[in-house]
Amino acid sequence: MTDLPISPYPALLVGLPILMATLSLFFRTRGEAIVGIIGSLLTAGLALIAFVEVTKMGTVIHILGGWEPPLGILLRMDPLASVFIGMTAVVGVFISLYAWRYFPAQEATNGRLPLFWPLWLFLWAGLNGLFLSNDLFNLFVTLEVIGISAVALAVLSGKSPALSAGLRYLLAAITGSMAYLFGVALIYGSTGTLDLKLLSQVLEPGTTTSFALLVITLGLMIKMAGFPFHFWLPPAHSSAPAPVSALLSALVVKGAFYILLRLWMEVFGVSLTYAAGQLIGLAGAIAVIWGSWQAFMQTRLKLIVAHSSVAQLGYLLMIFPLIILAPGVTADSADWLSPVWTAGIYQVLAHAFAKASFFLSAGIIIMALGHDRIESLRDLVGHMRITALAIGLAGVSLIGLPPSGGFMAKWMLLKGIFLSGQWWWAPVVLTGSLLSAGYIFMLLRLAFAPSREKAPFRPVPKKLEVYALLLALGSFLIVLPADSLVQFLESSEIFGSGIETILEGGINGND
Amino acid sequence: MSVLIDILLAILVIYLALQSLLAPRLSQSVFLFFAFGLALALAWVRLGAVDVAITEAAIASGFLGVLFLDALRDFSPRSSEEQKNISTVQNSRSRNSVKSLLLPRLSLVLGLGLFLLIALEAVWNIPDGGGLAADAEKLLPQSGVEHPVTAVLINFRAYDTWLEIGVILLGLLAVFAVGKIQIYRKPIPVVDDILLRQVILFFTPVLFLFGAFLLYFGKTGPGGAFQAAVLWGAIGILLHLGGRPIFLLIPRWLGQLLLTLGLLFFLILGFLFIAGGATLFEYPPAYAGVLILIVETLAAISIAAALTAMFANLNQMKKEESNKIDSTN
Repeated sequence: MTDLPISPYPALLVGLPILMATLSLFFRTRGEAIVGIIGSLLTAGLALIAFVEVTKMGTVIHILGGWEPPLGILLRMDPLASVFIGMTAVVGVFISLYAWRYFPAQEATNGRLPLFWPLWLFLWAGLNGLFLSNDLFNLFVTLEVIGISAVALAVLSGKSPALSAGLRYLLAAITGSMAYLFGVALIYGSTGTLDLKLLSQVLEPGTTTSFALLVITLGLMIKMAGFPFHFWLPPAHSSAPAPVSALLSALVVKGAFYILLRLWMEVFGVSLTYAAGQLIGLAGAIAVIWGSWQAFMQTRLKLIVAHSSVAQLGYLLMIFPLIILAPGVTADSADWLSPVWTAGIYQVLAHAFAKASFFLSAGIIIMALGHDRIESLRDLVGHMRITALAIGLAGVSLIGLPPSGGFMAKWMLLKGIFLSGQWWWAPVVLTGSLLSAGYIFMLLRLAFAPSREKAPFRPVPKKLEVYALLLALGSFLIVLPADSLVQFLESSEIFGSGIETILEGGINGND
Repeated sequence: MSVLIDILLAILVIYLALQSLLAPRLSQSVFLFFAFGLALALAWVRLGAVDVAITEAAIASGFLGVLFLDALRDFSPRSSEEQKNISTVQNSRSRNSVKSLLLPRLSLVLGLGLFLLIALEAVWNIPDGGGLAADAEKLLPQSGVEHPVTAVLINFRAYDTWLEIGVILLGLLAVFAVGKIQIYRKPIPVVDDILLRQVILFFTPVLFLFGAFLLYFGKTGPGGAFQAAVLWGAIGILLHLGGRPIFLLIPRWLGQLLLTLGLLFFLILGFLFIAGGATLFEYPPAYAGVLILIVETLAAISIAAALTAMFANLNQMKKEESNKIDSTN
């Protein structure tokens, strides 16, 4: 691993946002925002430069302090990491631009909300650090950075629903961290190494490894709000200010999923069983149905969008049963691996764009109406054409209609499901899509319905609407480079691979 | 003999933890929590991790203790009536629902018991992986310091430590976010208490020197930035309690500089190394010793400032709340 090309970008991708976050603390509200937006633009630019470098040179590394693993820490930017970093940069920069106009416009009603910018840049650094990390303990530290900044952002409004939701979020996040850390301690104790690459070579099946995998998985499931640990997500995501909701739903929960994917595929293959994959897939399937149904039953826009996140994250868990192969099946003969991985990555991307757009639109509607009860959305099309269009497009992607990124994800998932012969997942995907069509069309029906009162909508800065629309469009545009994106990702070691299991390998018991 | 001590200590830790959770009064919980922190520190000593023991004692019993006591002092007398009301309501409610909760509780206990058994089995059968201590010892001469723990923290795994310093600053920002207070501005009434003044006069230099000693001692033995920071943070808290809130007495920019100095210097140093063709946190071997001492000193100052500011803010927030309540009454 240490013979790969060395690049300064991985270190800069973590260092730069923290530098700008720290500098922004020296200024008062407006100055803080100026440093913050400059920091956002610089970080996004840096991420794109680094992305281009990886497309040219392949995986690059940065050996921190010059100390090689296992003692030192190595940052690794492979195609998979660079796609996540690129996604964070593109979605992040639009949310930043939105926040730049949103917070000043909100000052009259909500008062000044300082600290958004330093917290968001810290969060960004934590996400970049997480995607780049190749070390079990360092992943814990990045989870801490992300967790604390996310909770602080969630309570930024200082209102009591946000505070109580934030406290619950904090307790869930800490429980998740502690479970993860317990697993890390067991692994370190039994192998004496924390480097993911080395661990994959030395880890042996046994009770300790299986138990460590169990607690690590539980911890990460809590953090990514996987069923049945989804309880904290809807209140926390829906009570935060709009740009924060967008960040939390589009980006933060993906961090825990990314670690889960990496650890299951790269490190814990020896302890995984077919049944473990089925079990986590089941959790995902329940989340899809339950989350969609809950979203369908809500009467407040932000709660609909937040519950929809629970469902959309469920689809991500459903790729695990398909990439953990039944005993006797080899990765070479499993022709469904490529569609399933494509489905996973497109689900991540499409959800990030569509959900960010949706929450930003919800923020615009709250700004215009003063609340987000959906019965007041009548004649949205007549008053706010752009936002109505953004909601429509984002909704189409969430349902999974062509030609959106969401369609690509669900189509590839169904393809993988049928090729693998695990047909029992197919009804879940279809039911989930039907239910999401239910709540999206309910919103659109209201948006087109004639209004009873005259012009209840207050004017809103046009640019806010444009940013939300651009993000919604993004969830469609990502389909265009699909071929080259999949080709690029296939040069990643884990993309397109599967875990071959044997019957007698270790106990199972993963949820 | 030593096994017996360890077993007794283990039982004591669990006993104190349970007692602290189950204590009927909040003040008892807090004092049992101090005891729990000290017992845990002893356990760390038994495990040979003196560094962790010092930090555990200082943070768990010291800093958290101060925060808890401060919280206790303000709200327990006023709310004791309310508490009584709440507990009677809860009693009547729980009596009704005790039967319907029996099954879920039983299955929860059984589930947790099973989980604990597997956990014990997993911990008991842990193969000895050796750890990285040998590697750290081997590379120690190149690290610029003589104590392996300090070498790991500030050199071999400096990146983790740097991020953790960031986490402490983030914790402070989270306190600000909850209270919506920038480094607080309103002056608090100066308490002129001779005893308090004497205590401050005596303890400030002692704490400062002891902190400096721990910081410098970290080069060769257990100690270092985090331990020193807690002692220096205690100075800030003492001064605050004595009506000398440092963040009010110094200009705003200086306060912000103190809070961010450790993180910023560490990072800018790392960026300079990158500019020089090395990697982040790759000290030039000849200057490693000096640079590590500077990094540790600045980190200690920033952490101490963050602890002080955290305390000052929480303290201030409560004052404002109680003022609000008083004025509405």
